[in-house]
Amino acid sequence: MLTVSLPDAAEARCNKTFEALMWAMARPGQVRDMGEPGLAPVVEALIDRECVVHSDSATLAPFIANTGATPGTIEMADHLFHETLDIEALVSVRCGTALYPDDGATVVLQAAHGSGTRLRLSGPGVDGVCDITLAIPPAFWSLRAALCAYPEGFDLLLVDARAVIGIPRSTHVEVL
Amino acid sequence: MSLSSLTKPWAATSYGFLDASAKRELRRKMLKAIAVPGCQMPYASREVPMARGWGTGGLQVTLTLVNPASTVKVIDQGADDGVNAASIRRFISRVSGASETWDTLGASIIQSRHRVPEETLREDQILVLQVPNPEPLRGVEPNMSIARQMHADADYGRLWLTLYEQLVRKGRIMQGAAYPSLVNGRHVMTPSPIPRWDVPKLNMAKHLTFLSAGREKRLHAVPPYTKVEPLVFSDRPYRVEDHQQLVCRRSGIAGYFMNEIPQDDGSSSFEVSDSNLGIKAIRRAEGETVDIGQTWYRGGEFSA
Amino acid sequence: MAYVATRGGEKAIEQAERLFREELGTIDMARVAAIRQSMPYLIDRVMGEASLYDEDMAALALAQTGGELSEAVLVLRAWRTTQPRLAVAAPLLQEDLLTQRRISAAFKDIPGGQILGPTLDYSHRVLATDVLEGKPFAPPAVEPAAQPAPAHQPSLADWQRQQGLVAPAKQSHVAPDDIPDLTREPLLFPASRAHRLQSLARAETGGVLALGYAAMRGYGNAHPTVNELRLAEAEVVVRHPSGTPFSAGRVRVCQAEVTSKEKGGYLELGFAASFGWNEVKVIAAATLDLNSAEAPVGSPVHEEFYLYHTESVEASGFCIHFKLPHYVTFQSVLDAMRDAKAKAAATPVEAEQMEPAE
Repeated sequence: MLTVSLPDAAEARCNKTFEALMWAMARPGQVRDMGEPGLAPVVEALIDRECVVHSDSATLAPFIANTGATPGTIEMADHLFHETLDIEALVSVRCGTALYPDDGATVVLQAAHGSGTRLRLSGPGVDGVCDITLAIPPAFWSLRAALCAYPEGFDLLLVDARAVIGIPRSTHVEVL
Repeated sequence: MSLSSLTKPWAATSYGFLDASAKRELRRKMLKAIAVPGCQMPYASREVPMARGWGTGGLQVTLTLVNPASTVKVIDQGADDGVNAASIRRFISRVSGASETWDTLGASIIQSRHRVPEETLREDQILVLQVPNPEPLRGVEPNMSIARQMHADADYGRLWLTLYEQLVRKGRIMQGAAYPSLVNGRHVMTPSPIPRWDVPKLNMAKHLTFLSAGREKRLHAVPPYTKVEPLVFSDRPYRVEDHQQLVCRRSGIAGYFMNEIPQDDGSSSFEVSDSNLGIKAIRRAEGETVDIGQTWYRGGEFSA
Repeated sequence: MAYVATRGGEKAIEQAERLFREELGTIDMARVAAIRQSMPYLIDRVMGEASLYDEDMAALALAQTGGELSEAVLVLRAWRTTQPRLAVAAPLLQEDLLTQRRISAAFKDIPGGQILGPTLDYSHRVLATDVLEGKPFAPPAVEPAAQPAPAHQPSLADWQRQQGLVAPAKQSHVAPDDIPDLTREPLLFPASRAHRLQSLARAETGGVLALGYAAMRGYGNAHPTVNELRLAEAEVVVRHPSGTPFSAGRVRVCQAEVTSKEKGGYLELGFAASFGWNEVKVIAAATLDLNSAEAPVGSPVHEEFYLYHTESVEASGFCIHFKLPHYVTFQSVLDAMRDAKAKAAATPVEAEQMEPAE
């Protein structure tokens, strides 16, 4: 009574992207391969008409619009797709509430891995500590620490071409 | 633009049964569940072609994860050939083309009801636990809105009180399965109705665990290397079931969680609950080369 | 492989399903058509609980489950959930409904008139046993009235609003596309009005009746008067991508508005509506809606209580899941119990002393 199709290209892409995002979030600091470069695959895997999205990317805009997501300001958005880091603007990012921590935003940011500020991560998903280097200035990490009053907070996916690193709100980040 | 541009080519069902928007919602919630370990995340929970309460929450997570390269193991009460485990496994492989296995070591996704396998799970494995009741506070507060507020306030006093009362009245904590446990030092979760034997396997584990309640529309997660501490008093240590000395009547192995089989003469005999571990032990005893993984319990003692 | 031989789960479930289906025999279009034609009210009930309006599919679901209602609803919902949402239909207005039955218990007569329409309300409930003796029962033909009742009827509550008896309707500016959809988002509390009414619309008839009856009998503070009960057909108006609205078809709908007493200078109204014609469900559901505002937390008329417990697929699924083996959890309980008993046997006096003061 059941006829089943094989995954089409979009389904296969989304499945692979999500697997990378999931393990990135579950193992903060570890680099995962999404299979496709940039922010677009993340949009494709996560975003549809149920989402409110903020993006600073002109190239990404039509792609996001096509998902049916509602465009919104940073304070309204549940998903942010940023090609450049504007620390001051992120002050108003949604951090959810203790009642509904899931209302905290997912911030997907383009950021080079392997250069810039050295960080030491610890917390759930990290076996002891994990040292990484990211092209994100220390001021951002101070802001994050100020905003993330666990379990409130926002969750980071840092994309560098096909590679993604996840830093959920549960991760303690020490700037070295 | 025409009407047809609103729709898509006809297909009897989507790959993995769930449609793309159901999967995206689950993906978003699964990421949040990982980000706040042990915190129950609400999700829409679509109907699937199985009755609610029969693993529909676990199934939705598995169907979101699965791809044709996945290898799926499904167990109920530790057994791969339990009727509902067989039914779920058959459904998953039919709608996804994933491979089926009974071997814990060979599985990429393990969906389970009421047990964590005895062989230690690896960093690349995902355990999906089916959850009937995701709310550890249900016993002290049936109203979900109030219970949610208690989680927000980390107000677990009434839960501690019931455990204390059991200690005072019965001389021990009477909680059987589904032992309430503190995750990442913040949220109390139910580990699903796994026996107390299995709870330490979630603490600082290498694998990723999702716990999903389809009927109650909540999912939570325990990422790898995350603290899971059963609620106990400092002077009364956590006690797993007294199965350390029991020997499986079929496979001869000992030191694992057992099923008790009542005998006509009034006594009991025992069979290892992780049925495929038993099968592997039998096959090895018969001279086959069988790969049995490192187990969490060795000689009946937990050793992480 | 002696270990496995005693179980054989996969073969057993296959054969168990065959046993069920063999008894039902071959299902063909004729059977589906016969069910659809002969049981419209059952079809309505199933479509309402499934939130899926398709009489053939509902008849098919009944055929392949042998009329096991909760199974029929589940199989329809599981099919529904795989379908894309193409469009959002325009909201229905009471005065636009093609009304076949519309009555009010609040007034002897109402603007537009009391239209009895099809009902068994005043029939003598006598079983037509003659049929079993070979004499077919052919119902006598309906005698048309001299003047047909108008197809459209005004809303009684609108008249009451003009009289200042009912609070003015609050204008809602939610775009149709933004109306919350219970089938795509979790039910959270306090529930939005849309979620509450959607949840009641797809609730299990018997469950809604039981809790609604509890409210009517005295476990709620408001006893209903049926302000207006309506059975109607509604056009499903959707927008063509070119922008033109058009009717994609007509569905049977029912609605009940119940009222009780004055609150803040106005009559309170409780409301429910559903796919199909199912009067007992919408009256009971509207009674629950009416009672919600002042319901104590945890009472059967409290929103969280009745919405959770009348969800047909969840309730029936959980109930039958207790057939699944639970021997691992049971073993865990036994272990704690045996240990506690052993402790108690060893130190009976001490245990007694440890009983806390109440």
